[in-house]
Amino acid sequence: MSVRLTVSDVKLSYGDFQALKGVSFDIEPGQFVTLLGPSGCGKTTLLRCIAGFLEPQSGEIRFDGCIMNDVPPHKRNTAMCFQSYALFPHKTIYENIRFGLRMHKVPVTEHDELIQKAMDMVGLTGLGNRKPYELSGGQQQRVALARCVVVRPNLLLFDEPLSNLDAKLREKVRVEIRELQRELGITAIYVTHDQAEALAISDTIIAMNQGCIEQIAAPRTIYDKSANRFVADFIGTANLLRSSFREKDICNVVVDTDIGSFTALDDNYTKLDDISVSWRPEDMIPVLEGQDIPRGCNVVSGIVRNSVYMGDRLDIFMNCQEHVFRASVARDYVIPEGSSIRFAVPFAKTRIVQG
Amino acid sequence: MKKKKFEWGYLLLLPGLGYIGFFVIVSAYIMIAQSFGLYNAITGEVSFTLEGWRNVFTKSFFDALWFTLRTSVLSALISIVITYPLALLMQKTKARKWLLPLIKIPYFVPGLVGSFLIVNLIDYHGLLNEVLLLLKIISEPMRLRNDANGIAVIAIHVWKNVPFMMIIMFSAIEGIRQDVKDCARNLGANSLQVLLHITIPLTVSSALVSVILTFIRTFNDYAISSTAGPMNPLSLSNLMKTTAYSYNDWVTAGCIGVLMTIVTVIFMVLYTVLGKYLQNGGK
Repeated sequence: MSVRLTVSDVKLSYGDFQALKGVSFDIEPGQFVTLLGPSGCGKTTLLRCIAGFLEPQSGEIRFDGCIMNDVPPHKRNTAMCFQSYALFPHKTIYENIRFGLRMHKVPVTEHDELIQKAMDMVGLTGLGNRKPYELSGGQQQRVALARCVVVRPNLLLFDEPLSNLDAKLREKVRVEIRELQRELGITAIYVTHDQAEALAISDTIIAMNQGCIEQIAAPRTIYDKSANRFVADFIGTANLLRSSFREKDICNVVVDTDIGSFTALDDNYTKLDDISVSWRPEDMIPVLEGQDIPRGCNVVSGIVRNSVYMGDRLDIFMNCQEHVFRASVARDYVIPEGSSIRFAVPFAKTRIVQG
Repeated sequence: MKKKKFEWGYLLLLPGLGYIGFFVIVSAYIMIAQSFGLYNAITGEVSFTLEGWRNVFTKSFFDALWFTLRTSVLSALISIVITYPLALLMQKTKARKWLLPLIKIPYFVPGLVGSFLIVNLIDYHGLLNEVLLLLKIISEPMRLRNDANGIAVIAIHVWKNVPFMMIIMFSAIEGIRQDVKDCARNLGANSLQVLLHITIPLTVSSALVSVILTFIRTFNDYAISSTAGPMNPLSLSNLMKTTAYSYNDWVTAGCIGVLMTIVTVIFMVLYTVLGKYLQNGGK
């Protein structure tokens, strides 16, 4: 059974430090939501409030409309995958997975079948008699996952569960986590500071900064239509330039910057005081000498400062007056350092963000 | 084959090895030799004899052995019964910053000084008896010092051992990662279940180790049993001292010393085996 999670105006302080400054959001049953933000933004604090390890000083946390603020952690029926896996070192893998069943008073006759099923689900078949220290990091993470899903929680909580794994394994396990969550249909909240992980795994991303929510949106929206300068900068890489509003027609907004004017395709634009123009490095199209700038594009020109070969692409860092912009182009390009270069940035890929 | 070059770095081991060699091996050898009449530091006259080993197993010896074993086991068990819950409570309370150093004080007080302190409290007209008389709980003072059951000895050992055990147990309890306990709560365990399924299993090895270490300390004690213990039976260390100094029978005293060492070594082996057993998760 999965629940609808409602967090309303949750505040929590440690002394003078406000870790959560009135956070509110709503998660539909069965959704996979990621809390994404830099270290110290309050995402783990929020997760611990949802699990019941921390009590908010104000605000409400509801599961299917029931206020959970005073419900102790062991009665919330949530299951958390910890960053350190938190396996019980004195118990075998089988006993680790069985622990939740015993605590939930599941009839003993059902234990074997449920544990076997959970172990098969995460690919741990035959490892039941081992102790946690006899397993690799990836296997330990799977045990933690099996231990969580075996109790069929209302809510699956993940606190940076993959941060101790190497890049390849991280990618593999995150796919497994997503598939498992889809299969079981349990509402899941996943905390990470890795934006690539958040984009790959989530139905919805909640971008957090300094105890506040900056944006709640689907991965594609949050990446393509970042709400503000922080989100644009934190999620992926963005070129940002302070700007001022000049004019708006039906679907285009024109802003002025110190390197010239930019046009952005934005029919929902509402006039703001403090704005920046933003575009992604991979949306920059190199315009070679003698070629014309394509229609519907802004132009950014400058001198190549660094040309970094990344294997799957070439990253160009270019000086444009006192600014440094980053462009990602196909790896076949040969762009020498010190050369002049022009890039076209489509209006449709140019965003006006707050801040 | 190339001759292996002498490693001068091994010389750095000399101070440590010298200590072990001189104070442990040599003194053990002297004690064993003495028990067979092959060492005499007073007259220098030596001759092999089994007289000491024939004389040692008297009623006094067995009484002393039983008394010493009983007081050591009881004081170790009582100490852990007090220490374990105290360490658990201490870990929860914010006052531990000043409570812990306070509890550790008896550990740093010399055994003899502690002995006098407790003796003064539990003596015939000590504070305890006077208070109980005043409250009319007892009609006449109880004899708690030098009693045959060794109540005073046990009380002083407990007073002295609780801080020692606290150091071990508090570290063990503090050593349990918070996320492991949080995980248990998250999986449906209440506070008591966390204690029974996580905290106790993860600290029981430290508890056993501290019981054995305390037993060894108590078993070989001289100062406390000589000030607060009974004249009959004596503790083993007191019997050894009396045999040597009062009866001038250094050979039999050597035998008692050897037997005390054997008991200690048995418990040291037990400690090592138990430690390894628990480290391997009971296999």
